[in-house]
Amino acid sequence: MARVGVFVCFCGANIADYVDVPQVVEEVKRIKEVKYAVEYKYMCSDPGQGMIRDAIVQHKLTSIVVAACSPRMHEKTFRKALSDAGMNPYLLEVANIREHSSWVHQKDKKAATDKAMDLCRMAVAKSIANEQLHEISVPVTKRALVIGGGIAGIQAALDIADARIPVVLVEKSPSIGGKMAQLDETFPTLDCSQCILTPKMVDVASHPYIELIPYAEVLELQGFVGNYKVKIKKKASYVNFKTCTGCGACWQKCPVKVPNEYNLGLDKRKAIYTPFPQAVPNKPVIDAEHCTMLTKGKCGICAKVCLPGAIDYQMQDEIIEREIGAVVVATGYDMWDPKPYEEYGVGRFKDIITSLEFERMVSANGPTNGVPVRPSDGKVPKNVVFIKCVGSRDEAKGIEYCSKICCMYTTKHTILLHHKVHDSHAYVFYMDIRAAGKGYEEFVKKAQVDTAATYLRGRVSKIYKKGDKLMVRGEDAQIGQVVEVEADLVVLATAVSAPKDNPELARLLGISYDKYGYMSEAHPKLRPVETAKAGIFLAGCTQAPKDIPETVSQASACAAKVCGLFAGDTMKKDPMVSTINNEYCSGCQNCVNVCPYGAIVTDEVPVGHGSKDLRTVAKINEGVCQGCGSCVAICRSMAINLAGFTDPQIINEIVSI
Amino acid sequence: MITLGSQGKNTFLEAVNLKSGANVLECYQCGKCVSTCPVSQYMDFPPREIMQMIKLGLKEECYMANSHWFCLTCSACSGRCPREIDIPAVMEAVRHLAIEENHINDSKKVKEIRKFHEIFLDMIKRYGRNYELRMMAEFNIRTRNLFKDMHLAPKALLKGKIPLGVKPLKSAKAIKRMYEVAERLEKKK
Ligand SMILES: Cc1cc2nc3c(=O)[nH]c(=O)nc-3n(C[C@H](O)[C@H](O)[C@H](O)COP(=O)(O)OP(=O)(O)OC[C@H]3O[C@@H](n4cnc5c(N)ncnc54)[C@H](O)[C@@H]3O)c2cc1C
Ligand code: SF4
Ligand code: SF4
Ligand code: SF4
Ligand code: SF4
Repeated sequence: MARVGVFVCFCGANIADYVDVPQVVEEVKRIKEVKYAVEYKYMCSDPGQGMIRDAIVQHKLTSIVVAACSPRMHEKTFRKALSDAGMNPYLLEVANIREHSSWVHQKDKKAATDKAMDLCRMAVAKSIANEQLHEISVPVTKRALVIGGGIAGIQAALDIADARIPVVLVEKSPSIGGKMAQLDETFPTLDCSQCILTPKMVDVASHPYIELIPYAEVLELQGFVGNYKVKIKKKASYVNFKTCTGCGACWQKCPVKVPNEYNLGLDKRKAIYTPFPQAVPNKPVIDAEHCTMLTKGKCGICAKVCLPGAIDYQMQDEIIEREIGAVVVATGYDMWDPKPYEEYGVGRFKDIITSLEFERMVSANGPTNGVPVRPSDGKVPKNVVFIKCVGSRDEAKGIEYCSKICCMYTTKHTILLHHKVHDSHAYVFYMDIRAAGKGYEEFVKKAQVDTAATYLRGRVSKIYKKGDKLMVRGEDAQIGQVVEVEADLVVLATAVSAPKDNPELARLLGISYDKYGYMSEAHPKLRPVETAKAGIFLAGCTQAPKDIPETVSQASACAAKVCGLFAGDTMKKDPMVSTINNEYCSGCQNCVNVCPYGAIVTDEVPVGHGSKDLRTVAKINEGVCQGCGSCVAICRSMAINLAGFTDPQIINEIVSI
Repeated sequence: MITLGSQGKNTFLEAVNLKSGANVLECYQCGKCVSTCPVSQYMDFPPREIMQMIKLGLKEECYMANSHWFCLTCSACSGRCPREIDIPAVMEAVRHLAIEENHINDSKKVKEIRKFHEIFLDMIKRYGRNYELRMMAEFNIRTRNLFKDMHLAPKALLKGKIPLGVKPLKSAKAIKRMYEVAERLEKKK
């Protein structure tokens, strides 16, 4: 006969204020299988767990019910208490009387108490039918996939590879580096972005544990934590990277010019190109959309001038597969398009540029040799107006959130302007100066004093043209007056937005994303690098806007998570998985179609005992099964049983109320 | 409305910084000076706004304000300014520049304050120190307000706050000479 122990928790006042705990204890004591029932202030505390351990031994209990908070909170804690007392941990049931009762029925103590009693009765009834279960061991593929080769992906890949774990790094564009490769100097120390980034890019290319796959994208991810299989599309580059020496003869001779993405269209590149001089890999690719050889069959110059004969116009996209155990998503961010700001004349006035364009102009390897110029007439500007929060913190035209980095990079831009054009003057329209970071406030103060930039507190309401100047109108709330600034150039600190491909990528990876398109972390405070899907982690701006120091920290945190996951040769897994009883299975395969994890395949078994004829049945891979129960529900032959949620357990629960 | 960007270099800011020894650019507009200042509510523009106006190069507006005349140079504000800006020095610099360029607020209040300053300086020149009773009397006569604050006189006299006579300082002569030198230098300019 079953001997059940019930432990009802007050959870401080969380439960006790709304549920009559002693009454619940009295009620469960009336169930004949319950041999011991007690209440306590904090069951999860050390003494609380001790009570469970002692009662198991003293009262020779055969299953345990803890009526407390959600099992997501402390199921593991209580299971451990059972094992410590020598009991199989899966003989535990948790009745969630906090989230399911006290918290949601705060206005009616009687109803909350009644419901708590029902929940306890059900848990007791279920626990009577509980069986001993044992953790499953699954082998792990110790190889990580990193998606995106910005500073986040680079850092994560290097840190994982340094632990001698192989990494596959997939980058969408022809080179790794991301936005950081487009920056000039970086706040708050003003070190040159390229100088600190390029060595890391080279390390990626030469690392024995990193397989760099540029110009590629992820098509499909199958499997489960520790055992994923990924399909990657390598886009045709039309250049054989093995024979190409990177000499550049091809792009020098290519006659086709197209806007250069690296410089945001401020200058041109060729149809065959390396995105920037320090690119890694430093091999050109042919832009199939614009190459006239590929579109019209005319030209072929690059093949003629290429000495090693590396050009291959017949090259096709290639699909490759890799087995991996974990994924780091590091797809970065996009710049928000300021088009909705019609009152600023965006699109109409040439001398309004974005911050990233300004960044390219002041970069030594930029389209204007490191000097900002007016796109309209190429003149060097004297009065430059910087407008912050464009698109950010603007529910009407843009996005609600603060992009976090623009206050700091605009401060940096006032310094860079001051350095590049000595007799210039910067005006900054702002709403706040958000400078929370090590050395950030100091950086802002120094910039304001050294550059004498004029800070005007207000959002710009309008920009209009007067002669060849742009008149920028806004309030200076500090003196309560409307001001107009006569500007030669206007720079918009446009919002950081989520990469537009993120939702699609999230769907194919099976992770979630927020309303803006950023990938969602498992917990905003305590699990900021994990996703809700085991084995998939997030680094950098793909999760939310952040600067380089924060991006690098998160990337290294991802690496630690991946290394932790790969620490043993096998991984432990909950035994709550489904099994099929071949005798009942009719082979209809409904379950195969309904399983969201692809855990069910078909198998051939003899029709009868010793028979040579075969029939089809379904077979579940316990490593892949996540215990969702969909197959159990769909099987009309009732051939499937889910451990921990067997028919007798569920029926007991129902009957008990 | 204020138009910026066409006036070139902010020479006003430079002049104020030079004269005051402070750096107005360090002001981050927190307003602590305004809520500290005992007379900010009587000013056209409280100290924080004056700081911002200097930063914007609004010279005329600054000169014509009464703020730098109302400032008592009590240094309460600078004692609390988180950026340690010598605000009374800035106020004084604006006052001096306004006099030099002869752009002075001509309201009755400012006129009175300026008379007060003149009489005070005159007292020092004569006696090497202040002679309160004479100062009060002269001020009331010159501002044509004979009975101003008269009701306070008996109490102040009784408590010995206003001595009836004055005993010139020993160094009064030396002080007088300082005045003469200063006046000569001023004329040379
Ligand atoms: C104007 C400006 C100035 C800045 N200045 C500074 C500064 O001075 N200091 C500072 O700390 N920060 C600065 N930042 C912020 C900095 O750019 C970011 O913090 C940093 O680049 C984030 O790195 P990331 O790797 O997360 O993203 P990214 O740099 O955007 O990299 C993402 C990478 O992933 C690739 N990718 C995207 N989607 C896919 C996909 N589906 N599959 C494969 N690959 C994909 C992209 O091609 C890219 O290479 C500035 C930002 C701007 C806009
Ligand atoms: S074949 Fe295409 S890439 Fe090569 S030179 Fe011609 S246009 Fe350029
Ligand atoms: S970081 Fe600064 S500029 Fe950017 S959105 Fe936030 S407050 Fe605005
Ligand atoms: S207290 Fe100092 S920093 Fe604050 S507003 Fe006044 S002068 Fe500026
Ligand atoms: S020094 Fe002037 S501005 Fe400062 S608190 Fe005193 S009166 Fe006000």
